[in-house]
Amino acid sequence: MSIPSMWKIIRSPSTHLSLGVLTLGGFMAGVVFWGAFNTGLEATNTEEFCISCHEMEANVYQELQETVHWSNNSGVRATCPDCHVPHNWTDKIARKMQASKEVFGKLFGTIDTREKFLDKRLELAQHEWQRFSANKSLECRNCHDYNSMNFDNMSEKAQVQMRRAAERDQSCLDCHKGIAHELPDMLEGVSEAFAQLEQSAAVSGFDTGKTYYSIRQLPIYEDPQLAVEAGQLNAATPVKVLEIDGDSLKVELSGWRRTKGFGRVINEDFGFNISSGHLSKAAAQNDQLVSGFERKEDDMTGLEWERINAVVWMRAGSLAESTEMIWDYAKETYQSSCSVCHTQPDENHFDANTWPGMFNGMLSFVNLDGDSQAVILKYLQKHSSDFSDDKH
Amino acid sequence: MSINRRNFLKGILASSAASMVGPSLLVRSAQAAQNDPGIWRITGSHWGAFRARVYGGKVVEVKPFEMDSHPTDMLNGIEGIIYSPSRVRYPMVRYDWYKNRHNSDTSQRGDNRFIRVTWDEALDLFHEELERIQTQYGPWALHAGQTGWRQTGQLHSCGNHMQRAVAMHGNFIKKVGDYSTGAGQTILPYVLGSTEVYAQGTSWPLILENSKLIVLWANDPVKNLQVGWACETHESYRYLDQLKQKVADGEIRVVSIDPVRSKTQKFLGCEQQYINPQTDVAMMLAIAHTLYTEKLHDQKFLDTYCLGFERFVPYLLGESEDKVEKTPEWAAEICGVEAEVIRELARAMAADRTQLLFGWCIQRQQHGEQPYWMGAVLAAMLGQIGQPGGGVSYAHHYSSIGVPSSGASGPGAFPRNPDQGQKPIHDNDDFNGYSKTIPVARWVDAILEPGKKIDYNGGKVTLPNLKMMVISGCNPWHHHQDRNRMKQAFRNLETVVTIDFNWTASCRFSDIVLPACTQFERNDIDQYGSYSTRGILAMQRLVDPLFQSRTDFHIFTDLCRRFGKHKEYSRGKGEMEWLRELYEGCRDANKGKFAMPEFAQFWDEGYVDFGAGKPWTRHAAFRDDPELKALGTPSGFIEIFSRKIDRYGYDNCKGHPMWFEKSERSHGGPGSDRFPLWLQSCHPDQRLHSQMCESEAYRSTYSVRGREPIYLSPEDARRRGIRDGDLVRVYNDRGQLLAGARVTDDFATGVVRIHEGAWYGPMDESIGALDTYGDPNTVTQDLGASKLSQATSANTCLVEIEKYVGEVPPVTAFGGPVEVR
Repeated sequence: MSIPSMWKIIRSPSTHLSLGVLTLGGFMAGVVFWGAFNTGLEATNTEEFCISCHEMEANVYQELQETVHWSNNSGVRATCPDCHVPHNWTDKIARKMQASKEVFGKLFGTIDTREKFLDKRLELAQHEWQRFSANKSLECRNCHDYNSMNFDNMSEKAQVQMRRAAERDQSCLDCHKGIAHELPDMLEGVSEAFAQLEQSAAVSGFDTGKTYYSIRQLPIYEDPQLAVEAGQLNAATPVKVLEIDGDSLKVELSGWRRTKGFGRVINEDFGFNISSGHLSKAAAQNDQLVSGFERKEDDMTGLEWERINAVVWMRAGSLAESTEMIWDYAKETYQSSCSVCHTQPDENHFDANTWPGMFNGMLSFVNLDGDSQAVILKYLQKHSSDFSDDKH
Repeated sequence: MSINRRNFLKGILASSAASMVGPSLLVRSAQAAQNDPGIWRITGSHWGAFRARVYGGKVVEVKPFEMDSHPTDMLNGIEGIIYSPSRVRYPMVRYDWYKNRHNSDTSQRGDNRFIRVTWDEALDLFHEELERIQTQYGPWALHAGQTGWRQTGQLHSCGNHMQRAVAMHGNFIKKVGDYSTGAGQTILPYVLGSTEVYAQGTSWPLILENSKLIVLWANDPVKNLQVGWACETHESYRYLDQLKQKVADGEIRVVSIDPVRSKTQKFLGCEQQYINPQTDVAMMLAIAHTLYTEKLHDQKFLDTYCLGFERFVPYLLGESEDKVEKTPEWAAEICGVEAEVIRELARAMAADRTQLLFGWCIQRQQHGEQPYWMGAVLAAMLGQIGQPGGGVSYAHHYSSIGVPSSGASGPGAFPRNPDQGQKPIHDNDDFNGYSKTIPVARWVDAILEPGKKIDYNGGKVTLPNLKMMVISGCNPWHHHQDRNRMKQAFRNLETVVTIDFNWTASCRFSDIVLPACTQFERNDIDQYGSYSTRGILAMQRLVDPLFQSRTDFHIFTDLCRRFGKHKEYSRGKGEMEWLRELYEGCRDANKGKFAMPEFAQFWDEGYVDFGAGKPWTRHAAFRDDPELKALGTPSGFIEIFSRKIDRYGYDNCKGHPMWFEKSERSHGGPGSDRFPLWLQSCHPDQRLHSQMCESEAYRSTYSVRGREPIYLSPEDARRRGIRDGDLVRVYNDRGQLLAGARVTDDFATGVVRIHEGAWYGPMDESIGALDTYGDPNTVTQDLGASKLSQATSANTCLVEIEKYVGEVPPVTAFGGPVEVR
């Protein structure tokens, strides 16, 4: 039967059946159809369906089995649809439409090996994170409700974090990414803990004239296209935003440098080896980028220092409004990493210029990525006897 | 499970997969063990990894781990650690303390009379005392900061357990520095910008390839590399084997500068250069003088990478300070090395690539900062710092430093600190004007002179008024100096609690002693290779805790239960949960870089290997870019003159390295007329500090008539009518001990040695009592190395020896307490 002739039949009024029969029949057929559709839909909402694909079974399902959502004291298990299928109908259908893309991937083999899955993991995860972020982790909160939480039963550390989260009605996944599956490799060379710090501390909008603090070591550039590298900003360094150009920020970095050598290292203040960052040889010698002011001799070394302002470009991101959360992270990491072998010295046990020597000497015993090293050293220097009232 | 087709197929797959992987290491050992009854387990220790055969609940055989190509002889002492008569069997309380608590007669401390109590009673007493100290005094009265060479294992690391638990109850006094490298780790950050003593060094392959001259300065790596901070791999020995070959082939010249023919010198068959004890700085100054006057120094290197050479030269030339020119002739008088020999060595150093390798002994003496600083100055003058096979190292004898690091992450540990946000029961941070952190070796000063202000590293320290000590994972009655002074001091303490598996002298002088189990009686995990991070090792429990001993985890969970913090303490997790977590944390950190199996598989197989690392040169980055890779010194450069130290205005550590006369020095130095022999108390060859001294059968392989050996020269023996194997009394104004004479050509006249770590066994509790076993710290002096480091000066010590003719007392050091019923 051709399509036009079928269309004709559908369009023609009924000649044999009464309106009632038609209405009722249509209703019945609707019920049957709906039932079948819903049953089919529900079938796609079972764990069996989810893991009928090899990709799911071999990757995320295996990972789930290692977590508390699979096996725990109370015997309650969260299966795939509990977290990944919205319980509300409209959202559910929307998610199903989206998921068909993943089925397409299955049929056409985009994700048919572990390697390909891992390559895709970040993208796939980000879809889910966006969804959780938009609905404030609704699927988590179907079981875990802020109102039902007894904060007093939590550890003191958890209390602080969870009370803060509850006040802000924060989305669970803001902090609990990777709770049921392994995390994707997010940023090359950036540790998981750092990625989390960045999630919670980074601001998204910038105002000109305002000062922000780098969360980790960040590249700086000579141009707004971010094409010519000018050096690197150290962690927890204040920069003043002068101009916003799309995703690029023009920032001012102020500090002091030694005049011996090329003057590449910018320190926070005169006589203090607290690094704010460093410049490339070319940038350090470029009067267009770096303006010099007064010079004086550091009595402790006999070397001459120069106050400078460097104006450079950087990507808009990984900047915080204050150092508060950065120091929280640094403090905790310092206390846990550096107490593995010995009692970690108090922050104010040494002065700012002694800390680099003490810290560098012990680094081979701890597992700290470059950003963590930088931020901890700076934390120690900024809380050293030079900045502490409680000297000893 | 019923056998259906699917499971059947899965089973076939699994077994064929297993056969493809091949027999694991564990399977191999299991096969080897087929003829012997029992099962084989794997574990690790400071002495290396090994497999133990356990039969009938007892360790009956120990053999080295297959990865260890150079296992130490000390593995023969392992069984003796577990089954030692010196084990702490039950919770014990000192007799008079039990009767009178903190008002006890403290002069009875050391009489070794104890009462056995139950665990509950012991922990109640411990808790009540913590409570009393915090409420009656404050955090300044409690010293829980002495920690040290705990048994290995990252989870059960006992110092972490003790400090976490005590910190959950209240604050306390802590220490900074340690007894091994106190002076070195304080001076070198000023000079080279890092402690150096605990930093990875230039890789051995690069040294073997590039060095033409290696100077071992007071350094005995063949002796000291037997032990490591984490599980030791003994990887360095393969390179020492190669070095020995190169010495034989004439490819590398090695000179050992040492008053003693060391184990290393004899192993390598290298040159021996005798030097008078404690005079190393004089010889180094003369080498510098030769380099400078003969223009052999690298002025370009000094200009580019160093500061302050111009302020050091006048001292060298006799134009400043003492106005004495530091010529080889001047030095020869002091150090006993001929001037021409010094000149020849200086020229040889400058002629080609020279690697200086320092040991730690010469900084464990008065002015211990100076030889390390001067070593750096020599290396700077030679201009080879940052080049492969050149420059200076202070650590190639320690924990396989110099074996390239794999780059993998090791496992974390049970947290030493309370979790973030946790407040102690007594949240009192008022230290009553006392310093809350003290230099490690000055705690006995604090007990004797509370409130005294001392100089330390540019600041002032006010010594706290200590009333109570908690000791775990260390043995202060071995590692501190001057026993009789300690005895005096301990009379001022109200309560001392020690947690140990061994009845050490520290237990003898305590009030409450809690029996921990050994590391072989618990499950744990460790890094294989402290610096090389060669792999991760499972430490499978060999046997259950003996007697009433418990893991430190168990002990301190129960202590915390007494103040309602046990859940916070353990985070509600047990041993295996913690192990899994530490392992998974390590696996996460290595993700994408080093493959690690699931925990269960790891635990079965017992070991994950990360492979060998790439060779690396210390300070090469600095040499390449001194601006960006600046050193951690105040200037970022090598500081030959330190304005900062100069500003401190100390009389015993000034702006640049100098020769200082010692309070006691042999070979014509101060005090040598009364006590002519220099006593060196270096690290033992057949123990790890005081660990394994309790291993009876193993101790008998080196003890002399049941006493610790004292090594002396044939000439010194002859003059005193002493023969090899004789019992001798070693004494000075500070104390006296019995030891067994070992007369050997390896020792020069005027030089004697007792290895530190020999257990203290006094005749009785009286001050001045004879030590019956031979602990050298019975006679060493308790003196800060300088106002800078305030470190131990154990090697500044003179003694006299005589043949012992009196009635021979039994050895009291071992075998536990006298139980009063």
